[in-house]
Amino acid sequence: MSAQMRVGQQRTTWLIFIGLCLFTFINLTPLIWAVLTSLKDPRDAFTIPPTIIFEPTLKYHIQVWTENDFVFYLMNSLIISAGTVFISVPAGSLAAYALSRIPRRSAGPILSALFTIRMFPHMLLAIPFFVMGTFLNMIDTYPLLILALVAINQPFTIWLMHGFFLEIPRDLDEAAAIDGCSNWQAFRIVILPLARPGMTVAALFSLLLSYNEFLFALVLTGTDTKTLPVAIASFGGEDISSWSLSAAGAVGIMLPIVLVMLILQRHLVRGLTAGAVKG
Amino acid sequence: MVRWQHGLWLFFLPSFGLLAVVLLWPLGYAVYLSFFDYYLGSGERTFVGLANYIDLLTEARLWNSMWTTIIIAFGSVALEFLVGFALALALYRLNGSAKVFSVLLFLPHIVTPVVAALFLKWMLASNWGFIDATLLTFNIEPADWLGSPVWAKVSVILADAWVFTPLVMMVLYAALQGLDTSLLEAAQIDGASSWNTLRHVIIPALIPAIIFVISIRLMDVFRFFDLIYVLTGGGPGTATETITMYTYQLGFRMLEVGKASALGVITLIVVAILLLTINRGLNKAYRGGDR
Amino acid sequence: MAPLTIQQATKSFGEVQVLHGIDISIDDGEFVVLVGPSGCGKSTLLRLIAGLEDISTGSILIDGRDISRSHPKDRDIAMVFQSYALYPHMTVAENMGFSLRMRGATMDEQHRKVHEAAGILDLEPLLDRYPRQLSGGQRQRVAMGRAIVRDPKVFLFDEPLSNLDAKLRVQMRAEIRSLHKSLETTIVYVTHDQIEAMTMADKIVVMRGGYVEQIGSPMAVYDAPANVFVAGFIGSPAMNLLKGRIGSDRQSFDLDAGGVLQFDSVLNARPHQPVILGVRPEYVKISDGGSAAVVKLIEPTGADLHVMLDIAGTKLTAVYHERLTLEEGQEVRLAIPTDHVHLFDPENETRIVGN
Repeated sequence: MSAQMRVGQQRTTWLIFIGLCLFTFINLTPLIWAVLTSLKDPRDAFTIPPTIIFEPTLKYHIQVWTENDFVFYLMNSLIISAGTVFISVPAGSLAAYALSRIPRRSAGPILSALFTIRMFPHMLLAIPFFVMGTFLNMIDTYPLLILALVAINQPFTIWLMHGFFLEIPRDLDEAAAIDGCSNWQAFRIVILPLARPGMTVAALFSLLLSYNEFLFALVLTGTDTKTLPVAIASFGGEDISSWSLSAAGAVGIMLPIVLVMLILQRHLVRGLTAGAVKG
Repeated sequence: MVRWQHGLWLFFLPSFGLLAVVLLWPLGYAVYLSFFDYYLGSGERTFVGLANYIDLLTEARLWNSMWTTIIIAFGSVALEFLVGFALALALYRLNGSAKVFSVLLFLPHIVTPVVAALFLKWMLASNWGFIDATLLTFNIEPADWLGSPVWAKVSVILADAWVFTPLVMMVLYAALQGLDTSLLEAAQIDGASSWNTLRHVIIPALIPAIIFVISIRLMDVFRFFDLIYVLTGGGPGTATETITMYTYQLGFRMLEVGKASALGVITLIVVAILLLTINRGLNKAYRGGDR
Repeated sequence: MAPLTIQQATKSFGEVQVLHGIDISIDDGEFVVLVGPSGCGKSTLLRLIAGLEDISTGSILIDGRDISRSHPKDRDIAMVFQSYALYPHMTVAENMGFSLRMRGATMDEQHRKVHEAAGILDLEPLLDRYPRQLSGGQRQRVAMGRAIVRDPKVFLFDEPLSNLDAKLRVQMRAEIRSLHKSLETTIVYVTHDQIEAMTMADKIVVMRGGYVEQIGSPMAVYDAPANVFVAGFIGSPAMNLLKGRIGSDRQSFDLDAGGVLQFDSVLNARPHQPVILGVRPEYVKISDGGSAAVVKLIEPTGADLHVMLDIAGTKLTAVYHERLTLEEGQEVRLAIPTDHVHLFDPENETRIVGN
């Protein structure tokens, strides 16, 4: 490669770098704007031109978590998410392990079926859940929403865990069988300790999915079990005067997710291709 | 399954039992409900056969929502693909510093969709939203981003793109990283320009990933709910009412659960047709790759 | 320590039959090597013995007991995997003691047996390490240690040396051999490497395409290959296999491609009979009289001299242990001793009896 070409390539790289910086900044404007709004007093929030430099205040961040029921909603969100993870991940892991160990010609159709199920419109599932929930008097209870979230989460968990189990060599199962393990013992003693990182990733993704879920939470919860997304959606709606407050709430909801995302970074693509986080 | 593995069948029990109870049974129940005129408010239901389907398929609102869904689907997926692919190529080119960018660019996707929608709402809100406030500073009269039928559609497409472009970007970036670099080096040695390398080496190699991500996105648009619900609620009027929004209105606002179920089944059929078409395209692309 | 008998074993994966009526009987304490090109079914056969695959028809007996349908753990076998299959989250000692632990042995017994086996294999300093902290050769040794601890009736080895470098492979070959001498346990060993098979086995089973081609001691198989495939597969460089007809005096051989080979005594076949004539490279001797040939290529390997010869267009490989002064292009005369000539029927490629 000639020196001239190398210089040309370096210039392109720099252009791309600067372009990406610009794009990233513009792309993050809504987020930055929300964070700024959450730190503003109303007199700074409603100005033309928009205020960039102001005296930040944490007043609304404190207010939203103390004077409103947000702590209660957070608890609801956590209970429901944790419940979903504790049912979905163990059950999904067992099935995924078995799927990764049976012949591919049997596993293939099951995996395709699960993938298809994942594509079902959630609305079609929300209606019967709502009707049955009404009959059984279970609307606005934890178990109903947890079961609904397990339903949409299970195919995803199985897909994700299946990928992790495939990476654990089958030789280990065979060695364990020869060493005297039943299938259950081989799973518990040999495979499970090796699958723990994968299960952590699956658990975090499931947690994220449940924490972010909106449709089922909207139609299946009421005053007793309302989750954070439902609360912020109704809260941050129309009333302009509470912008700073709702921005503080929204930013607060976002923070743990950013944390989880930083942990999951390495596995993001995997989670995404096993099934989108949202939906 | 080999004899010593027979115990594995038991491993399926918890998961498949759960799926049967919380997924298959409700779905079956929904199909059953779709044959009833069922207003949940009164609890009265009468069997009407296919009447719900016939009603729906002959009314303008369904076709309107179908059309809206298609516009939003193709508009946003096209935008997401173009921007996402460009970003993926840029990240691939940068290599070293790509990690920081990929995390930052990914943020909009990982944030709770409702929260993301609120962020965008605060951008787009009339007068005091960031965009309007900025435009007004320069005395430019802003459009009614969420209030006019055309702009509302555009806003929804942009919102969808804001949230889902990172997904497209990440999937394609991962696929790029999986490319055999010797292919690219060979192209370089052969004296191919960057454009030719992209067209004749990179894109053909990425076809499976491209089809995968486009199909996932297209199908997701049919479930697309959170963003529109928060941004426009389907309005103004029914300008941004997708099939999903319409089903929600029918089922949970008007409590016509029979008709709503029928609409859900129709959506499922549309998605299934889409899925089959894409699958066929996928297979063709794979076979094309074999040649 | 027990005899192993395989009777009419077949294996099909769906429509595809990968093993056809395999009959092998292995004596108590014998070291048997299954050898063949990849896809010949040798690994499948080993996995049938281990119980990792289900036998389709036929039966496998260990010590007279039919174990063809037993769980792997009830067959009293131990297996060394190609990948070693050590449990990554267990120490060497835990790996080796795992089968005892699963059988409910006391801690004392586990400890004692693990140390015993570690002593045999010089593993004692490594007992507290994890597999990832070991070199390839050490892992290999641990895998064997795990098998020894079981004190099984039969050891199964699935290409255990293929992940080692050439030098270590030679060393481990000798070690496994001497281990067998001291343990005197029946061993079934799978490899695609015919040198491994020759050097280690008491008995070689040559397989191809799901069939057993020949069973015998390494030298018996080498000296009297049952068919063209075995003749070409065992031995390196490979046996020369030439197509042609016996001459009318039975002392010459007319190559199909032209040219004649002369012999000093009669060949064991009818005049004009079409045959495939096999001769190992080390028996293609240069002499004063005999068949004419041209030296095409000389490859000195250090110890030996590999020479590619040409007889009227037919290639012939020769190996010489002495340092001949040959030149490429030089004309030579060849003498091939008749008692080292193998004749095969060109129709079914089997050895012509009485040869």
